[in-house]
Amino acid sequence: MATYVLRRLIQAIPILIGISLVSFAIIHLAPGDPTDRFRSGRVSPETIQNLIRLYGLDKPLPEQFVSWFTAFWQFWKPEAWGYSFVDGRPVTEKIAEKTVTTLLLMGTALFVTIIVAVPLGILAAVKQYSWADKIITSLATIGYALPSFVLGILLLYIFSIKLNLFPSFGMQSLGQENNPADIAWHMVLPVASLAIQQIAGWSRYMRASMLEVLQQDYVRTARAKGLSGSRVLFKHALRNALIPVITLLGLTIPSLLAGAAITEVIFSWPGLGYMTVQSVQTNDYPTVLAIVMIGGVMVIMGNLLADILYGLADPRIVY
Amino acid sequence: MSGPARGVAVPERRHARRSTERGSTDRPLLEVKNLRTHFFTQDGVVKAVDGVSFSLDDGKTLGVVGESGCGKSVAAMSILGLVSRPGKIVEGEILLDGRDLVQLSEDDIRDVRGHTISMIFQEPMTSLNPVYTCGDQISEAVSRHLGLGRRASAERAIEMLQQVGIPDAKRRAGEYPHQLSGGMRQRVMIAAALSTTPAILIADEPTTALDVTIQAQILELMKELRARNQMSIMLITHDLGVVAEMADDVVVMYAGKVVEQSDVTTVFEQPHHPYTKGLLNSIPRLGERLKRLEVIRGVVPNPLNLPAGCLFRRRCPTAMPICETAPPLQEIKPGHLSRCWLTPSGEPPAVGTAAPADVAEAAAAELSVEA
Amino acid sequence: MERYEIDSLVGAAHGAADGVVDEVDLIPVRTYSQLVRQRFLQHRLAVVALAVMIVLIALAVIVPLATGDQYQKTSLTQTMLPPSLEHPLGTNQIGQDEFLRLMKALQTSLFIGFMAVLIIAAIGVPLGSIAGFYGGKLDNGIMRIVDVVLSLPIFFLIVMIVSFFGKGDAWVVIIAIGLTGWTLACRLIRAEFLKLRESDFVQAGRALGAGDRRIITRHILPASLAPVVVAATLGIADSVVTEAALSFLGFGISPPQASLGNMLKNFEEDLQVAPILLVYPSVTIVLIVLAASFLGDGLRDALDPRQRIEA
Repeated sequence: MATYVLRRLIQAIPILIGISLVSFAIIHLAPGDPTDRFRSGRVSPETIQNLIRLYGLDKPLPEQFVSWFTAFWQFWKPEAWGYSFVDGRPVTEKIAEKTVTTLLLMGTALFVTIIVAVPLGILAAVKQYSWADKIITSLATIGYALPSFVLGILLLYIFSIKLNLFPSFGMQSLGQENNPADIAWHMVLPVASLAIQQIAGWSRYMRASMLEVLQQDYVRTARAKGLSGSRVLFKHALRNALIPVITLLGLTIPSLLAGAAITEVIFSWPGLGYMTVQSVQTNDYPTVLAIVMIGGVMVIMGNLLADILYGLADPRIVY
Repeated sequence: MSGPARGVAVPERRHARRSTERGSTDRPLLEVKNLRTHFFTQDGVVKAVDGVSFSLDDGKTLGVVGESGCGKSVAAMSILGLVSRPGKIVEGEILLDGRDLVQLSEDDIRDVRGHTISMIFQEPMTSLNPVYTCGDQISEAVSRHLGLGRRASAERAIEMLQQVGIPDAKRRAGEYPHQLSGGMRQRVMIAAALSTTPAILIADEPTTALDVTIQAQILELMKELRARNQMSIMLITHDLGVVAEMADDVVVMYAGKVVEQSDVTTVFEQPHHPYTKGLLNSIPRLGERLKRLEVIRGVVPNPLNLPAGCLFRRRCPTAMPICETAPPLQEIKPGHLSRCWLTPSGEPPAVGTAAPADVAEAAAAELSVEA
Repeated sequence: MERYEIDSLVGAAHGAADGVVDEVDLIPVRTYSQLVRQRFLQHRLAVVALAVMIVLIALAVIVPLATGDQYQKTSLTQTMLPPSLEHPLGTNQIGQDEFLRLMKALQTSLFIGFMAVLIIAAIGVPLGSIAGFYGGKLDNGIMRIVDVVLSLPIFFLIVMIVSFFGKGDAWVVIIAIGLTGWTLACRLIRAEFLKLRESDFVQAGRALGAGDRRIITRHILPASLAPVVVAATLGIADSVVTEAALSFLGFGISPPQASLGNMLKNFEEDLQVAPILLVYPSVTIVLIVLAASFLGDGLRDALDPRQRIEA
């Protein structure tokens, strides 16, 4: 297992190089110049030249890329990821702040998804065709059809504006710095908005997986041994049914990232997604590059985690 | 309830008695009476088992023979109450030592399953749970039914693995099914089934999925365990060779009904029903030179669209007009039943081959041994 | 028209004996497409979904065609009107007719959705076929590329591509979604090819002298399209949602162009002032996704030979 993890980490490097190459290429192939935003009537040409030299934009592209890439991995150094075009702050600082808040959102949403979707899926499968199953399946279909921004707006409208139950923006109320309860209160709507669509997908997948497992011969054998219903279900069926669901984990991370970006915008949650939107809008290239890389790292880590869990869960898998 | 240091004490079975303890009543251990198990599907009702009766005597082996789809597996599953939706037992009694299993609550039948009556299945590849070790799958039956603790169950599991002839049992107990070969997996299944010393073992095509050489080994194993544990076996198969080797009595099934029933010698040497004869004839014999293999022409009727009268009529070489009325299950000789209009000596029936329906039905009612 | 065929073995034996064949021996014969259609029609929900999709597409094509640029027309006096005969869905804050805007937005969104799926198919199907058919190094290489693409933070990348290469241009959005979304189609086709590569009808084709290309295109591909059709249906919904998300964030189609996403862009203001304006595009998006979902389910059951038995 350890060698497998190592191998995967090493394989991740070319992927990350690929990601950065692609991002770099997009930025520089796009029409316009990275320094465009500085060009207004009041900025003198010399200032612009200085800026260009400061940011190393006059060097040949490959050299720019290499110097950026090598600097990137020394992420403990403040200047590693460059300075934001917007406010001159080190990108590392800006990202560090926001990553935590986004992870908080994503992590909670993922947790909620798992503890809700798995039991729902099991219930729907065990009581197939019953009214419970029909309700769960219908809700799942509807939930799946609601994109997170539609859902977010809907939740915002109903629970915040109309019913005034939850705050409509931000992470903390004024004057309530770092109060966990306050933060939790602010988190309810955005997490719900992120989680509902995931729950819909996961519960359908869980149901399908469970249904397939319940048809298997070994479940019949377990019943023939006289084991109790719950034992057959939770010991024999569930573990096998969870195995394919683990692979969902790998797919959920990119999905959560996209959803997070949108949800953060709707609820003004100060996270990476929000910052992505802002920095793309303002052509803040260093920040954008860094965020895309972070996103890539998260996706790769998510996939790796899913594969490790998969290997642990299924004894047939040998890495 | 843990046993002494060496070996494990196994409590007495609660439900059945060994033949040595028998009283004066000569009741069969298991009696299936007029069992009907139907499947209510989208396309219609499939009468998988339609009025089947047989019994299993203590210490004997009953072979249930028939083609795929004749209902033999469903009959076995019905005994243990394992028939799932859309199937349902609609009629019949299944008496285990006098207790009707059909009437039992789910809790009670679960006590019977894997304890008094154990079942093994055809596909050892898929019948074992891939994510648990072999030892685990044996010991869970033991701890469930015999109430043994974890260590005691694990020891019993290893003991069983040794009994079924798996070398290096202790190591194997910790291995997963995918690490064992097909024959070994079937042995593990047998070990799990027998770990609770059941009175009856139902074996549904236990060797069909195995190589011929492994097949022989498994059959030998079953004979040995049968003798050692004084077990009764209900052996379901389509392989007449297996039946000849293992069974004391034989039931031949076709399209959900019993068509012939007797002890193994009679069935093999004096078959009555044309279907049984056809089955026996189609076995190629060593040393014989034939130009063509004999087949039973035609196919099994569509279960959703069963013809009236004798279900075998369309494929029968001796079909007569009277066969349009369903023939009775007659007692050809004491202990030999056959569902055919032909007389015990193989002649056309006394009422004539072209008897009109009402006459035929009256005759059937008279001759039939069914309730 | 029903065609019957004699259950040959029984009929021959019996019929030969006395020249009479019973109805019991006859089984109806249906072609594959008839079977598919029959199974599909059994799904009422899928049929309804199909109808809804057709209506949506028809509206999206006809209304903008008939009314041209009218959806852009603003007015200072006719703002925030409730639904009326003249304005079926009322008007928005700058006097534009909501219905016309919605139809134009529907057209844009559906167009992007369909085109993006076409690009996904154009990239994924050939790559998947080659990978599945030839196997070996080619397969490995293509799967590597798939792995890399799947490891990318796709949404962020799309955002980047779209915003840096041209905000507001529908084709940029289409290409961006297409370039990043082909992996599923590729995998599905590859799986089918791996399965069908060794099947008998392929061997038969080879025995008749068919070359690789012919085998791929004329023999295996038609048989393997079923899961891709299902995935494409769901993919259209997916692409519509992605485009809507992009426009919502300000990166995709920008006003005065209309798309379902950018009609939701001013949500903060709209929520306070005119929440109903958010309802129209939202409901439309949900309708598209639901319809595509059920349609996809229906297609999957219709094209898949395995049957369900229900009590």
